[in-house]
Amino acid sequence: MDSKHVEALLEKYWNGDTSLEEEAQLRAFFAQGNVPASLQSAASLFRYFQQEQQKKLAPSFDARVTKSIRQRQGGKIIRMVNLVNVARIAAGVLVIVAAGYLIRQEVSKMYPEDTYSDPKVAFEETKKALMMISKSFGKAQQEAGKIKMFNEAEEKIQSPKADDTEQKASI
Amino acid sequence: MDFHMFETRVLPAKNKLFRFATRLLGSQEEAKDVVQEALIKVWNGREQLNDVQNLEAWCMRIVKNLSLDRLRSSQRRPADGLDSHADIRQELLTPHETTELQESMKQIEQLMNALPDKQRQVMHLRDIEGYSYQEICEILGIDMSQVKVSLFRARQAVRDQLIKMNAYGL
Repeated sequence: MDSKHVEALLEKYWNGDTSLEEEAQLRAFFAQGNVPASLQSAASLFRYFQQEQQKKLAPSFDARVTKSIRQRQGGKIIRMVNLVNVARIAAGVLVIVAAGYLIRQEVSKMYPEDTYSDPKVAFEETKKALMMISKSFGKAQQEAGKIKMFNEAEEKIQSPKADDTEQKASI
Repeated sequence: MDFHMFETRVLPAKNKLFRFATRLLGSQEEAKDVVQEALIKVWNGREQLNDVQNLEAWCMRIVKNLSLDRLRSSQRRPADGLDSHADIRQELLTPHETTELQESMKQIEQLMNALPDKQRQVMHLRDIEGYSYQEICEILGIDMSQVKVSLFRARQAVRDQLIKMNAYGL
């Protein structure tokens, strides 16, 4: 392409009258490098356009987009995430309720409710209960006395033997 | 639209979307976020896409709206400091020429970013992305005459600035 033709095209270009094809011709002309001095400033503009066209996103961009799109596909995952959150909150509430119930039970055990309204009857009942414990305790003591007898007998049997072994050792 | 269609018809436009968002926002990091947001928005609204004739222009329009929303919420002027320069192939140039080239690229970037919003957007879509007037109308939501006037004014302004730069030996 001769420079006269280029100059004519450029004039059209500045006036906004060039078609896309003519602009492509200008771009091709300035890209090949061999540009007369008179057209240098236009050349730098076209070089700038060419440089801008080369700006690209990093290759990792596609993966980033497709990943977030697959995550949102139909909104299923988002709904799942919401469900998980609801489940978490529900579990937390359940733990608190269960803990509250158990603590209440423990506390109520420490303070038993009154079983009798009349203090006299209550006193009699308490006395009965204490008598029962006392009786059982007395019986247990008797039985324990027998064990004591056994122990004494065992000691008597064992002690002469122990004396014998001591004597033998001294000899 | 199924996922395969999304991958073959929408995703390939990502770099155009990214460059346009960068032009509007002035930050590549923010542009990346906006493009991702836009693509997810397209996917989520895929049921309504049957009436859309030009998917790419539709995506560009979403990017434009999201970018402008961002600018509005942070109340700043678009594209004040573009955060990247000179990425051109420079193997055949001497260090001096490389610096000179980087300098002139930077200057052109500055003068393009100094254009009024509409002119800058139209010039980007036409001269960098090669869209037709009709597509630019769809993307920016303006009519044909506005597109033509904006492009004319943008090119005239850039030309004047280039002449000035040359006159001062820059």
